[in-house]
Amino acid sequence: MSSTPPTSAPPDHNDAAQALGRHFPDEVQQAYTRFLQTRVPADADVVVLAIMLDHRPDKKLSPAFVPADSMGLVADLGFDSVAITEMVFFLEDLFGVRITNDEILRVRTVGDLRAFVRQKLTAQPPAGLLA
Amino acid sequence: MSRTAVVTGLGFITSIGNDRAAVTRSLRELKPGLARVEFLGNPSLPVKVAGTVKEFTVDSPSWRDWRYPERYALPRETLRSLAPHGLYAMCAVEQALADSGLGADLLGDGTTGLYCASAGSAFLLHHHLAHMHAVRGERGNPMGVVASIAGTLNFNLAAHYGIRGAVGGFAAACASSSHALGCAIDDIRLGRQTRMLVVGAEEVNAETILPFAAMRALSTNPDPATASRPFDQARDGFVGAGGAVCLILEEAETAKRRGAPVYAELAGWGQAADGHNVAVSHPEGSGLADAMRRALADTGLTPDAIGYVNAHATSTPAGDRSEALALKKVFTDTGARPKVSSTKGLTGHPLSMAGVMEAAFCALAMKDGFIPGNANLTSPDEACAGLDLPVTTLDTAPGIILNNSSGFGGSNVCHVLKPWRG
Repeated sequence: MSSTPPTSAPPDHNDAAQALGRHFPDEVQQAYTRFLQTRVPADADVVVLAIMLDHRPDKKLSPAFVPADSMGLVADLGFDSVAITEMVFFLEDLFGVRITNDEILRVRTVGDLRAFVRQKLTAQPPAGLLA
Repeated sequence: MSRTAVVTGLGFITSIGNDRAAVTRSLRELKPGLARVEFLGNPSLPVKVAGTVKEFTVDSPSWRDWRYPERYALPRETLRSLAPHGLYAMCAVEQALADSGLGADLLGDGTTGLYCASAGSAFLLHHHLAHMHAVRGERGNPMGVVASIAGTLNFNLAAHYGIRGAVGGFAAACASSSHALGCAIDDIRLGRQTRMLVVGAEEVNAETILPFAAMRALSTNPDPATASRPFDQARDGFVGAGGAVCLILEEAETAKRRGAPVYAELAGWGQAADGHNVAVSHPEGSGLADAMRRALADTGLTPDAIGYVNAHATSTPAGDRSEALALKKVFTDTGARPKVSSTKGLTGHPLSMAGVMEAAFCALAMKDGFIPGNANLTSPDEACAGLDLPVTTLDTAPGIILNNSSGFGGSNVCHVLKPWRG
């Protein structure tokens, strides 16, 4: 894998940041802002969970639904490969990280996803996101 | 099976209305759908009018920001891969299915096909490519390709409705949806499909419309009431427009068995190219004249059988003159004198969707018994001498109709619609 840092999309090209600002609940936006300032992993968890729920195909679940860590994205939450790819792109753009196909394939559950994003944000500090 | 193709459903998202009743009213009363626009926030641009789509706000590249009528409920799994004109198309198809009395669950048995036409979404394509450049190619929206390239309509509509018959897209610029409709007619006449959805759609934004200003093809008349004036001496270019139209073609016996409403028979078609110029029509309209002759030959008709021609005439100086000369060759020179009008004086010119939109207008005119007049035609071009160009809508049945379209590269298409007496 290349050691060069990923390139952050400037704000006017960052659809994910714009979508978060326009369409996600205040508490999620606040957690995102806090995370950029303090890098407390729990704040990233809040954002990741909200993004995951936003991208889940099965919208029959209650809006207050909180999935267990053991729930499978495909097996339990109805994700297909397109929805997963779409969610991964959203995360990449929002946090300015690079996620490979192999890494996507290893993420199977809600807990995997959260742990993976935490690890990714530690390994690839997303520079320039506040620009 | 009869192998006769009839029109059993129509859906409209157009500059002159977003349902059949509004469109019919505009065609009857010659109420135009053009409005002032300011592309790219630049008030100094000379192009100031477009055929806008009302009730929709789709100026963001993100489907999450779009606003559209609540009567169309689309799931995120459908919205996420749509371009703005794909949203129009979904809404037009929903209308056409309801109009035809067809449940969406009937579309998946392989007997229904789908032909579409649009130029793709230059707006979304530009957005996604700008992002690609900004991140130096490191990532991209996974829906970017299927939402923006030419073909986006057929990709999305086929997936959403589970269509398993013939599916494809047509790219011949302003003749595209006419090719789509012509090939759909053939699929029914050949017994390959019993039902075809034909969809044309385009966006009304700077990315789709303004490049035509570089060709000096757009009107710079700032008055929405008079900017589009096909066949008139004062015409100075076309007025870009957008929206979506869906026309449902069905094999006649199948339609009859299920009690479907029938607007008209699409009896045949013809096409012929100019072999002349990449962007300008043949000066004598030779390809379009041949397309009309081939459409007549396909249906065993002579020119005097035609009661009305819905002209392609977009309000450009060269194109309208070329079509007028083609019409004179086919009709005036053989002693025939059908009524001729271009409805683009009302709608503006919606590019790829023009052909199917105007075929749908012809179907409405046939069903309701009227002939749309030529809006804004006050002083006909001298090339129109000998043509019968009504300036008001006539309350008379049009009889057999020809529907003309022409596109870049000199592609010309002509459909024949007959009253249905089944």
